[in-house]
Amino acid sequence: MQALITPRAAAAARNVRAARSIVLAARFNTARPSYTQSTQPKQAEAGAFTYKPGGPIIRGTVNDAVPYPHPSRSHGSYHWSFERLLCAALIPLTGATFVVSGTAHPILDGLLAVSIIVHSHIGFDASLTDYLHPRKFPLIGPLMKWLVRGMTAGALVGLYQFNTNDIGLTEFIKRLWHA
Amino acid sequence: MKEFKIYRWDPDTPAQKPTLQSYTIDLSQSGPMILDALIKIKNEMDPTLTFRRSCREGICGSCAMNIDGVNTLACLCRIDRDQSKTTKIYPLPHLYIVKDLVPDLTQFYQQYKSVEPWLKNDNPPDGTEHLQSIEDRRKLDGLYECILCACCSTSCPSYWWNQDEYLGPAALLATYRWLVDSRDTAKAERKEKLQNEMSLYRCHTIFNCSRTCPKGLNPADAIARIKLQLAAD
Repeated sequence: MQALITPRAAAAARNVRAARSIVLAARFNTARPSYTQSTQPKQAEAGAFTYKPGGPIIRGTVNDAVPYPHPSRSHGSYHWSFERLLCAALIPLTGATFVVSGTAHPILDGLLAVSIIVHSHIGFDASLTDYLHPRKFPLIGPLMKWLVRGMTAGALVGLYQFNTNDIGLTEFIKRLWHA
Repeated sequence: MKEFKIYRWDPDTPAQKPTLQSYTIDLSQSGPMILDALIKIKNEMDPTLTFRRSCREGICGSCAMNIDGVNTLACLCRIDRDQSKTTKIYPLPHLYIVKDLVPDLTQFYQQYKSVEPWLKNDNPPDGTEHLQSIEDRRKLDGLYECILCACCSTSCPSYWWNQDEYLGPAALLATYRWLVDSRDTAKAERKEKLQNEMSLYRCHTIFNCSRTCPKGLNPADAIARIKLQLAAD
């Protein structure tokens, strides 16, 4: 099955290496002369995009390893461990505030509020990394990232005010439950 | 008579949109597997139908395709004998198509290459082979059998959205195969490379990979174990 790709891809990669430019590689693609010539007029007519194996979209041959991003534990295992531990901690924390009164234990109440906000922030951030990563969405990606950060900051301030000046999160949920 | 609807796209007419072409074959004149039907269609009805195949017994991984919505090997997938239902055959999803059922696996192979799937040991034992206990050898079962058919990676939604950065289940299963090999001494280096938000941590434990694997392997389990190893570091 490699034989199907390799000759074309290899030729294209040689071009990439020689030209070191996507544009030049596409222009000087000699991988399949008959194919390139036969489709070029049609492509221009229809304005359609032709995909060439080993061409500008997937660079290089099957033997060129993809590069890894720069290693960073805070983006890797530390982030994952923190997120998992927080997730697990939320279960007893929610149970504890349910059992004891949030008004009598304001620190517990505050801890629950902060944990929920951080947990949601990580969740939203993960979906942005999945669907709106800045490498694909250079404008809307960072914009949404800052929007989530703004919303998290706003929620933190709001819940701080609510917990200090009003009845507090746990008490509020209890009243809402009985309402 | 059973109807097959097969994805067709010809690179020589790139402006023409992909279509489903219908073929009806007599099941009594065909072998039991989807690959038998495809070969019958290519031999007797339409020689332009293009697909990869080689071993016809699930060991080469060439004939991976999407059959009735499931990524699997055509040679291991039985034809549904219910003749009132049509069987739809597409190429593996979210890959660039070379022609018809042939996807471009360049990126997939490049990712496998980046795993450096070979034994790294700078201090080989003097004059003998690397010895391994039976228990250590047993850890490789369920990992070494992967034939790189790309069924798992192309069934993973996370891989669909981020396949340029996320390694995907197949490459990560291969990574884990070297992380548990008692003879390999480059484990720290292998793990360090995964310490970023894209290569490994785009796995959200969706389990499509384990569900679809035609060889019955469990890439999701291997990925979870890599995450545990990294967390314990």
